[in-house]
Amino acid sequence: MKGYPSITPLIWYQDPVAALAWLERAFGFETRMVVDDGQGGVIHSEAVFGDSLVMVVGPPHGAAASPAGLTGRHTASVHLQLSDGLDAHCERARAAGAVIQREPATQPYGDRVYTCLDLEGHPWSIGQTIEELTAQQMAAATGRDIREKL
Amino acid sequence: MSITPTVFYRDPKAAMDWLQRAFGFEVSLLVTDDAGNVGHAEMVYDGSTIGVGGEWGGPQLGGAQMKSPASLGGAGTQFIWITAAEPIDEHHARAAAAGAQIAQAPETQFYGDRTYRVRDPEGHVWCFRQSVEQVSLEDMENRSGLKVKTSA
Repeated sequence: MKGYPSITPLIWYQDPVAALAWLERAFGFETRMVVDDGQGGVIHSEAVFGDSLVMVVGPPHGAAASPAGLTGRHTASVHLQLSDGLDAHCERARAAGAVIQREPATQPYGDRVYTCLDLEGHPWSIGQTIEELTAQQMAAATGRDIREKL
Repeated sequence: MSITPTVFYRDPKAAMDWLQRAFGFEVSLLVTDDAGNVGHAEMVYDGSTIGVGGEWGGPQLGGAQMKSPASLGGAGTQFIWITAAEPIDEHHARAAAAGAQIAQAPETQFYGDRTYRVRDPEGHVWCFRQSVEQVSLEDMENRSGLKVKTSA
């Protein structure tokens, strides 16, 4: 993958070098760029996942924080959508030490999903579409009001 | 394969309205419960999809809790980078007019992007970028004094 996708999460870690290695091992990211600060910190990095990427940086300063410094609380999560291999992906993450919160399960909205926490407590959800449903079909399956426009 | 960040708010409905006004995000999916509370929402801005949710933390989440920066003294565990679809200075003016707290006004960076950074009303940090110049890795290093390691 070259260039930049239109949206990129920048995720704060206390140990960004360890986080990059972990994201490769657990989820299959590939680190394509690292700008370190010469003191074990990372000013900028790019870890690629298909046509997407995340930036892993730290240690946190200013308004930034790792969940590891917030007793596990966090202000955002990241969702990875796979084309196949969801259950194997979960086993790979578990073997790398991910804390699995919800085991893989097929949801009424047609996706198979698992959720986990990474090495510093950032939440990730990983999904794979099993059955393409319309918003109307999702609403019927979940009992929720689901709209595609306001 | 794709990546979608989700951000959590005390008042997700107000946040969605603001994200529309300030940045141009449009609602693409809205899941509400019987009381009209937002269960899950997705918004799109020129190919960038975000999830928007309310604060919560259930037993199935272990010790983890989804919080707004407004509930954590302004702290945020993730920032979001987005490529501006219109001239970035105009996008910045729109965000400022909607009340975004400007953390960094538009500025052209050594790596060839013009960028700006703001905080939304609950404290999430949003970074917008637009490429204005192609810069080689060598020139980036010369301009910044940083060492850039790549897998290439």
